[in-house]
Amino acid sequence: MSRHQYAMVMDLNKCLGCQTCTIACKKLWTDRDGTGYMYWNNVETRPGLGYPRQWDRIGGGWKDGALQPSPLPTMDDYGHAWEYNYEQRLYEGKKQPVMPSPEPKSGCNWDEDVGAMNEDENYFFYLPRICNHCTHPACLEACPRKAIYKREEDGIVVIDQDRCQGYRYCIKACPYKKIYFNEVLGKSEKCIFCYPRLEKGEVNACAAQCPGRLRFVGLLDDPESPVHKLVLVHKIALPLFPEKGTQPNVFYVPPFNPPKRENYGKSIQEDPRVPLDYLIYLFGEEVKDVIVRLEAELRKTQEGGRSEALQLLIGRDAETRYHVRPQLVQIQV
Amino acid sequence: MRTRQLVIVASACLLLSTTWAQTGAKPATGQSLSVAASSASADSLFHGGPAAWNQIAVKRVALNRTPPLYDTDEPATLEIPSVDVRTARASGKLLVQLSWRDPTHDAITLAEVPNTPPETRFRKVQTEADDRFFDAAAVMFPAKSGSGAIAPSLQMGDAEHPVEIYYWNATRGAMVMQAQGRGTTRRTGQNFPANSTYQNGQWNVIFELPDLPAGTTVAFAVWNGSQKDGDGRKYFSVWQVLE
Repeated sequence: MSRHQYAMVMDLNKCLGCQTCTIACKKLWTDRDGTGYMYWNNVETRPGLGYPRQWDRIGGGWKDGALQPSPLPTMDDYGHAWEYNYEQRLYEGKKQPVMPSPEPKSGCNWDEDVGAMNEDENYFFYLPRICNHCTHPACLEACPRKAIYKREEDGIVVIDQDRCQGYRYCIKACPYKKIYFNEVLGKSEKCIFCYPRLEKGEVNACAAQCPGRLRFVGLLDDPESPVHKLVLVHKIALPLFPEKGTQPNVFYVPPFNPPKRENYGKSIQEDPRVPLDYLIYLFGEEVKDVIVRLEAELRKTQEGGRSEALQLLIGRDAETRYHVRPQLVQIQV
Repeated sequence: MRTRQLVIVASACLLLSTTWAQTGAKPATGQSLSVAASSASADSLFHGGPAAWNQIAVKRVALNRTPPLYDTDEPATLEIPSVDVRTARASGKLLVQLSWRDPTHDAITLAEVPNTPPETRFRKVQTEADDRFFDAAAVMFPAKSGSGAIAPSLQMGDAEHPVEIYYWNATRGAMVMQAQGRGTTRRTGQNFPANSTYQNGQWNVIFELPDLPAGTTVAFAVWNGSQKDGDGRKYFSVWQVLE
């Protein structure tokens, strides 16, 4: 356990799938050699394949105190980078259409907006994902080099690039497949929760750029922080796949609204737009209680009352959404 | 409960004796490695190929396989049971040639990274694959010469007995490493000359080491990329003693 723990809450009811967070992260951290396929932050459509595809079904995490490593995802699962034949088309006078090569077969957000059917209605939602900076990181345990460590001062999990030898046990161990191998460097890389920004009092780039204002950042153990309130006081945000045993520190407000069109006025729980089974698959059984709590808050406001939880979720300004406290987490030397 | 304690004590003794065997015992004479005093120059041996090396006595050194790290790892089979070792002193260098059979040639040429900073380039070098592992080999010897009869732990030395590891990788080249026990291996940033060829399913790799005095213990390791070998997942020999 670290002394403090930075955490993020993402309200999935507000995510519009615009990928601004993805690009903010990519421009800042993974616009280098060997990092083309890396999305420390990605947004995937759910239900769907995810990135790398089927990451949620191949393994990783803990079971009965033992690591459950999965096979390594391959570049087929991430999707091979492709280029277009602009030169032939535009400069060499070849008449074939502009085509990508190699033929794209997979990629990040490959199945965007496909979703699934709930009886006769299509449904989907967006799931933004970063490293979960887990309290019990499987990646850290798996590394024989001890190259991965959890920062004592703020709980951020990072890979020491000097110690990393590119063995990739961490990738197999991570149940969220949020570590990527840089073959050019021969080292593994992952989301660093923008710690250099946090240390200067700036919030994570993915959060700062989010037009949907769905991200909340702060210390989980700081009673003033929005993440503390949403996760521990209002209890309306849950980690992804809690049964993997790593105790993530990224939490999600489950997508529960709006109701199906014909159900207007009825309880969302009766006939939810997103089938409850799917939400249980992602967030565990507790999601049922969270939806009950969220609906109760919604009803409170619909009846003219005031819901502190919903006011917080609206997150009107940066001061509400972010509590970055570099002074608090600074290690006194 | 008592039986369980007994089992624990017995296991501890067994472990201790194994460790002692690895670290404390003077290697048997069966582990001695003859070193040719070559009149040829180090350079001619380094670049000489089979003609230069075939005159030098060969020793077939048995390799062992490290056990799988996780229950879910595929069982590691002993596909490479031995490595042929030839050693020669020439021009103040110790040249070691390791030859072993490996039907799978796991080596690639990585795309060259331009010297210009990536942010100044429109195109970046791509990671072509994330699941490739490459053939490799290494020679390990004690970092402190004249440390007496005690050979360091085979598991990358120990705190009292650091080791130097001359590591060659079919894709990433040759690099000098140091270690003081399992998991402590680190690159020194120095390289060393290595010359490798792969022909007819066989690797021949020549390591140019600093001259090591007679009596120095050396150990060898081989990694097979197609078995997804890396780190401790490898073939290894016990200590050999240079004559």
